[in-house]
Amino acid sequence: MNQNQQQQASDGRHDDDAALSDFLASLMDYTPTIPDELVEHYLAKSGFQCPDVRLIRLVAVATQKFVSEVASDALQQCKARQAAVVKDKRDKQQKDKRIILTMEDLSRSLREYGVNVKHQDYFADSPSTGVDPASRDE
Amino acid sequence: MSDGGRESERGPEKPAPQRKPGGEEFARAFVKVAVAQICESEGFQSFQQSALETLSDVTVRYICDIGKTAHVYANQAGRTESNVFDIIQGLEDLGLAQGFLGASDIEHCLASSGTVRELTQYVGESEQIPFAYSLPQFPVAKDRKLTPSFLQIGEEPPSEHIPAWLPAFPDSGTYAQSSSPNDRTTELKMAKIEQENQRRKPERSLLNLNQWLDSNGLEGPSSVDAGDAAKAKQAAAKAKQAAESNPFLAAPLQYGEKEVSPVVLPAKTKLSNDTTTGNPIVKYHGMDNHVSVLEAFAPNIEAMKSGLHDSEEGHKTVLLNTRPTVQFKLGSRKKYLGSMLDSSPQNKSFEVTESWIGRLNEKDDKKRRAEQILKESMGNLQELDHL
Repeated sequence: MNQNQQQQASDGRHDDDAALSDFLASLMDYTPTIPDELVEHYLAKSGFQCPDVRLIRLVAVATQKFVSEVASDALQQCKARQAAVVKDKRDKQQKDKRIILTMEDLSRSLREYGVNVKHQDYFADSPSTGVDPASRDE
Repeated sequence: MSDGGRESERGPEKPAPQRKPGGEEFARAFVKVAVAQICESEGFQSFQQSALETLSDVTVRYICDIGKTAHVYANQAGRTESNVFDIIQGLEDLGLAQGFLGASDIEHCLASSGTVRELTQYVGESEQIPFAYSLPQFPVAKDRKLTPSFLQIGEEPPSEHIPAWLPAFPDSGTYAQSSSPNDRTTELKMAKIEQENQRRKPERSLLNLNQWLDSNGLEGPSSVDAGDAAKAKQAAAKAKQAAESNPFLAAPLQYGEKEVSPVVLPAKTKLSNDTTTGNPIVKYHGMDNHVSVLEAFAPNIEAMKSGLHDSEEGHKTVLLNTRPTVQFKLGSRKKYLGSMLDSSPQNKSFEVTESWIGRLNEKDDKKRRAEQILKESMGNLQELDHL
């Protein structure tokens, strides 16, 4: 029994190792949005030291995943907020359909990731942020 | 480490500790572009500036946190370079807040980590959005060369207590030539002493001057050693010699040692009494019996009288028989520039007084008023006395 378990475990490990190395190899073909140079720069700043480009890519992909998750959460927040508005008002707001990344949504989504963004009420963006200059004139 | 450390790392947002105007701003601008691209791919069409700033700041911190944790785990394992497992461990640490597959299993293999699976899934699903710009290479030192150990060089460590795996010493030329610390300290001391001496030179001369003045003075310091006394004598002899040659170096005379004509009051005070025709003084004399204040001032008044007398006789005869003249110049500069043509100082002063007389005569009314005020004040004093 014990031997079988060990064998299975070692097989699994071998599989995992293979999967990991495959994944790392596939990263060489994948171009993350965050450029390698930036990641390298910030990693070197934090004391990280490794000549392997695949690891840089790994970090870049992980960061990209993190950012996109935060952004999608913020998007959900934004949509939920817009759905909560009464229909009459929504009709008025139909004009500016543009989906804007606001501090409100971002701070809510970041809170789930352990980042407490204290919203500065006095430090406000102008309400016309993100609106096209053409539509602003109306 | 994994829990507490992560909490503190992801604590409330602080402003970036060091914001160099150069490279950091540059890199930050590119991070903003990248973050904006990711947000756009998620479906956002626009953003608040502050939101983008915040998100890019969080992104940078995320990268740095991965680097830090990976570095820490590498160091914990006794390595300087990180490998995949350090990074995965760091990712797991950072992902603990969300949770991932198999996080509950403490002793799971890192190769089969849930975070890696999630990453693989993400890479498979998400479309590639290459960065919009081409970036120049940042100046990152990729392979730092360690100083080779004694073993690698093939040298014997200089003494037995140094193990061979330690990094080798630098060339002996870089440190052998410098003198031992003891020599250095003594040299430094010597230099300091010299500096102090140079500093003290003016102080010493000042001290000598003080001593010399003391020995020449009327009453030297009471506690004087025999040697000092001898020195003082020498100094006194020298001073005498000097006094013969230079009158300014002569020792001050005792009171009454030499007959000197009484000191003349400054012209102004003289004249203020002179032009009032001496009436107040006479009156004061009349009051002498009653007023103690006047008694107290009597000698002064006498001096004033004599001063008046002198001024009447003429200035040239006053004072200054043998001694060099010391003149206190009163009044504004212009006058003196005007009277500069006169060579002798006595004439000068005389002229000045004359001009004053003229002026004061013109302003007789003012003088009278002042007189009245004086009288009144004297009357007040009398009343005070009576009280």
